[in-house]
Amino acid sequence: MDSDRQTTRQRAEALVSTVPPLLVAAERVAATVAQGVHGRRRVGTGESFWQFRQYQQGDPIQRIDWRQTAKTDTVYIRELEWEAAQTIWLWRDASPSMDYRSRRDLPSKRERAEILLLALAILLSRGGERMALLGGGHMATTGQVAVNRILQAFESSADTTGTDADGLPGSEDVPRHGELVMIGDLLSPLEAIDKMVGRYVNRGVRGHMLQILDSTEVTLPFGGRVRFAGFEGERETLIPRVESIREAYLDRLQAQQDGLRALCRSAGWTFSTHCTDNSPQTALLSLYAALSQEPVDQPDARVPAAGG
Amino acid sequence: MLTLGPLVFATPWLLLALGILPLIYWLLRVTPPAPRLLRFPAIRLLYDLTAREETPDRTPWWLLLMRLALAAMIILALARPLLNPGADLPGSGPVLLVVDNGWAAARDWPARRRQLEQVIDRADREGRRLIVLPTAARVPGERPEPSGLLRPAEARGLMETLTPVPWPTDRGAALAALRDLRLEGSAHAVWLTDGLDDDAVVPLAQRLQRLGSAEIVLPSAAQSPHLLHPPAAAGAELIARIRRVEGLDGPTGPVWLRVTAGDGRLLHRQQIAFEAGETVAEAPIDLPVELRNQAIRLEIEGETTAGAVALLDERWRRRPVGLIGAGAERAPQPLLTEMHYLGRALEPYSEVRLGEVLDLLESRVAVMVLPDTGGLTTEDRTAIDDWIAEGGVLVRFAGPLLAANPDPLVPVRLRYGDRVLTGTLSWTEPMPLATFDEDSPFHGLAVPPEVLIERQVLAEPSLDLAGKTWARLADGTPLVTAERRGPDGRGGWLVLVHTTAGPEWSNLPISGLFVDMLRRIVAMSEGIAGDGGTRTLKPLLLLDGLGRLVAPGATAVPIQAGGLAEARVGPEHPPGFYGTEEARRALNLGGSVETMRRLQDLPGGVAVSDYAPRGEIDLMPWLLAVALAVAVLDMAIAMALRGLFAVPVRRAAGTAAIVVVALAGGLFPAPAARAQMGDEMAIEAANGTYLAYVVTGLRQVDEVSQAGLDGLSAVLFARTAVEAEGAIGVDVAVDELAFFPLLYWPVLPEQAALSEATIDRLNDYLRNGGTILFDTRDQALGGGTSGPGAQRLRTLTEGLDIPPLEPVPPDHVLTKAFYLMQDFPGRYAGGPLWVENARERVNDGVSSVIIGANDWASAWAVSASGAPSFPVVPGGEQQREMAYRFGVNLVMYTLTGNYKADQVHVPAILERLGQ
Repeated sequence: MDSDRQTTRQRAEALVSTVPPLLVAAERVAATVAQGVHGRRRVGTGESFWQFRQYQQGDPIQRIDWRQTAKTDTVYIRELEWEAAQTIWLWRDASPSMDYRSRRDLPSKRERAEILLLALAILLSRGGERMALLGGGHMATTGQVAVNRILQAFESSADTTGTDADGLPGSEDVPRHGELVMIGDLLSPLEAIDKMVGRYVNRGVRGHMLQILDSTEVTLPFGGRVRFAGFEGERETLIPRVESIREAYLDRLQAQQDGLRALCRSAGWTFSTHCTDNSPQTALLSLYAALSQEPVDQPDARVPAAGG
Repeated sequence: MLTLGPLVFATPWLLLALGILPLIYWLLRVTPPAPRLLRFPAIRLLYDLTAREETPDRTPWWLLLMRLALAAMIILALARPLLNPGADLPGSGPVLLVVDNGWAAARDWPARRRQLEQVIDRADREGRRLIVLPTAARVPGERPEPSGLLRPAEARGLMETLTPVPWPTDRGAALAALRDLRLEGSAHAVWLTDGLDDDAVVPLAQRLQRLGSAEIVLPSAAQSPHLLHPPAAAGAELIARIRRVEGLDGPTGPVWLRVTAGDGRLLHRQQIAFEAGETVAEAPIDLPVELRNQAIRLEIEGETTAGAVALLDERWRRRPVGLIGAGAERAPQPLLTEMHYLGRALEPYSEVRLGEVLDLLESRVAVMVLPDTGGLTTEDRTAIDDWIAEGGVLVRFAGPLLAANPDPLVPVRLRYGDRVLTGTLSWTEPMPLATFDEDSPFHGLAVPPEVLIERQVLAEPSLDLAGKTWARLADGTPLVTAERRGPDGRGGWLVLVHTTAGPEWSNLPISGLFVDMLRRIVAMSEGIAGDGGTRTLKPLLLLDGLGRLVAPGATAVPIQAGGLAEARVGPEHPPGFYGTEEARRALNLGGSVETMRRLQDLPGGVAVSDYAPRGEIDLMPWLLAVALAVAVLDMAIAMALRGLFAVPVRRAAGTAAIVVVALAGGLFPAPAARAQMGDEMAIEAANGTYLAYVVTGLRQVDEVSQAGLDGLSAVLFARTAVEAEGAIGVDVAVDELAFFPLLYWPVLPEQAALSEATIDRLNDYLRNGGTILFDTRDQALGGGTSGPGAQRLRTLTEGLDIPPLEPVPPDHVLTKAFYLMQDFPGRYAGGPLWVENARERVNDGVSSVIIGANDWASAWAVSASGAPSFPVVPGGEQQREMAYRFGVNLVMYTLTGNYKADQVHVPAILERLGQ
């Protein structure tokens, strides 16, 4: 098991090796946002120098940089870079239905979800963000410790950490104005998902949903007379000819995804889907983009310091 | 029985079951195939989906057809169809089976068994009882008895136990047994004969006819047996004698005779042909005399009867010859002694034993040779007299001793002194030998004129002297005299040669004639005939009916030694070896069979057939086998239709290929392929600096180790004076480690414990300056001493001589061997590095063991394109650079030892010098 744990981690590391550290875009400045270790490339509270700007009416006199002012005629204010860290809550669906894989050479949905989550955690830890696994029972922390905790949670609780009967996050509290990343198959009834999203939105939590599906769930490639059974004690159903209901199934799946997308849009959340026979890289990049709120390939936008 | 051309159904009423086939068809038609079960996470979306078209899957028509064929096949099989069945047996009463099970029946026993089975099968089908009557007694005192009325199954069981016996049949007794038999209804008798005639044949056939009807089965001429008589010994040769059955229609082909040794080796194989019209063929067996003593068995090739085997014992062997007078080989001039000439003359054709008289008598020699040198005591003489009376042959040579004091142990009275035919005071010349008389045993031997006798002892003239003389000189003086001694002239011989066995008195001993004369005398002996006639010979190894030597059963009776020649083979005395292991006597069937005539002149009205197979084939097992195969196929198809073979065929083929490759890999495991690091590899390893890693057996790990050390080698080559050639994987249990300054050892939790020998090798390596870097690769899991690799390392290194360890101190050589560094990151950073306590001063303070957890090989590993294979955590490329630097320092440390440590003292030394 230990070596499994190590390979999961190493695969996640390989996945993130080409992606720069992730700085979560922190919009809402709030008390829950703790002081971070890195600059946010904008003016704010911090220790490192950001820029000089001309004194304007209303600026506190204490912030005038007298040395710079003495060099020229204008009065300069010394501005520091805003250093802050966002708290990210990570969640993956741990229900038994996630253990599904249609082919032996594909990862199960759960493996894919955990790799993505771990990769995200590594990126976040490099960015110095605070994070924790939702329902993992730990405080949000930074750095390798947080990654190790998540890894341990994956390993030690192969049960359903933080997942309720519907395959959705339980009623754990996320502090106000946190960020939540949800990875799961999200096949629960839309009403339940709506209720869950509403609960978080009320607390000002921003969320990102990634729906992971197996390729058979996307295409329903079966044929003939099939008795379907679920993973979580659902009642069985007998389909005399699967070919004949494929269209109807795909319509339903589409409706589910459309519903999720609409729900997220109304809550201001992001939504994306991922199929396990695709590369995890694309899913990671879409999450990265959603969290950093900037195009992935955007060049470094730092303004050179004047007079540096 | 229902007959359809050549096809017959034994239980035709079962064919009625074919009527249920339409029912099966209807049942299969209305039942759709069972659904396959699939587990599917998105099942919620599938609930209550109604199909636009609802046509339930039906059993495909070809599957339906196959299942119907399967049912039909089973029904047909149960009806027992027979192809080419035999005709019904005549009569209505029981079937009487008379079986010749004497020795001749073993000639083609399987054909007889087949015939028996067919008769029993036919009786079984007709529901008739059977009576079985073997015509040969099986145990002493038993007479052939008909069995009671047997059901066919019982008859089969009885038939299983029926084997041919190695003695002749007793048809007279069988006839007598049949006289009392009363049967109901008209019986049908089948007599399976062995094809040999005797007086009881006609009465027996008539008796069988009278019971109802009779059928007599005769073997063909090609299947008639041959009888091998015990070979006759004629001089040095054995004459094989083979008899065939009289009255055969055509000529029989030649037979091959095999001679085998006691351990089954084939010594000789020879073809013997029968003259036209002759029933006996004789031929000398062309066997080198050296091999003749090893032969114990003659047999006719391809015939498995007791009559085709002749066993050989001592009587057919070369005679052991005793040479009296041990110690002669220690004489001053051994090449001139009589013993030497006698030995050389006797050895090629006889087994020569040296010894004193009593010892030789003890070892039961057939012939004794007494040269003149041997003195005889009175006791010896008495013993020799007795031995000659029992059949021994004593050959005595004259000489100065005998001439001086003649003793009574001579065939003729001798004159005192000797006759000298040459010399300065003599008129006579040395004299040649006369031609041998017709009644002399030497008759026919050519007398070479150059053989000259110079001196001899002379016999007193007497009336019977001429009769006792075997050889004379040219002037008629007896040279060899002999006398038969013993009760009523049946004992052995006492032979006296009137000259010496050495070259003193004549040149006879150096001529070929001497050798031939001795051979003739030895051939006259009776062998070890010393069995007194009253001893009993117990059965030792007996021939069974098929001509195999087996341990004797309880029923064989011992034979009086004297009665062996007259003993007749029978249930009491089966053929085989009797006596003890040391002295065994063979009793052969050949001597007990007088006539071998072809059975003919049968009474009229008897049906005669032969053993040729009838060709009746029972189709039931074949039909059932095909039905089973179809059933298996049907099951496979049904499973495939239900989706139980989830793996698609193409992938299955791939899997199969992988399995095959894996199996092949398993059959030829890595050590075989690596062949223990041959000399070539050793030379290569010794010619350059190679970094070595321990092969763990886990492919991914080994590949990383290889790539890592290759990457480090490249860095060393580019930056330092170390010209590392590359990386070599070694198996610590097998390969020589002395070539490698550094051994990189990734520790796996799965690694097997080391053997005692391996630990010794590693200790040797460490003592002699090697360094091992143990990498537990645990740092990703928190490092420390609790990781799985560290725990494994603890058990793995249990027997290794590792001094106390400590974390690398800040002034350790590793921190400055090439680069200055204090941390030693690999793929992961931060784990402590443990080295030997420098104060231990083992290996001059160079640590032989370095232990860490940072997974260095992964950090050093580069892919074929030169790019790093693995990301390093958490530090990025700078951390990789530091990892390389650690590698450089490490290799420097292992190659240069504490060289850098000395430089620490440079300031102090300079300071001292300055003072």
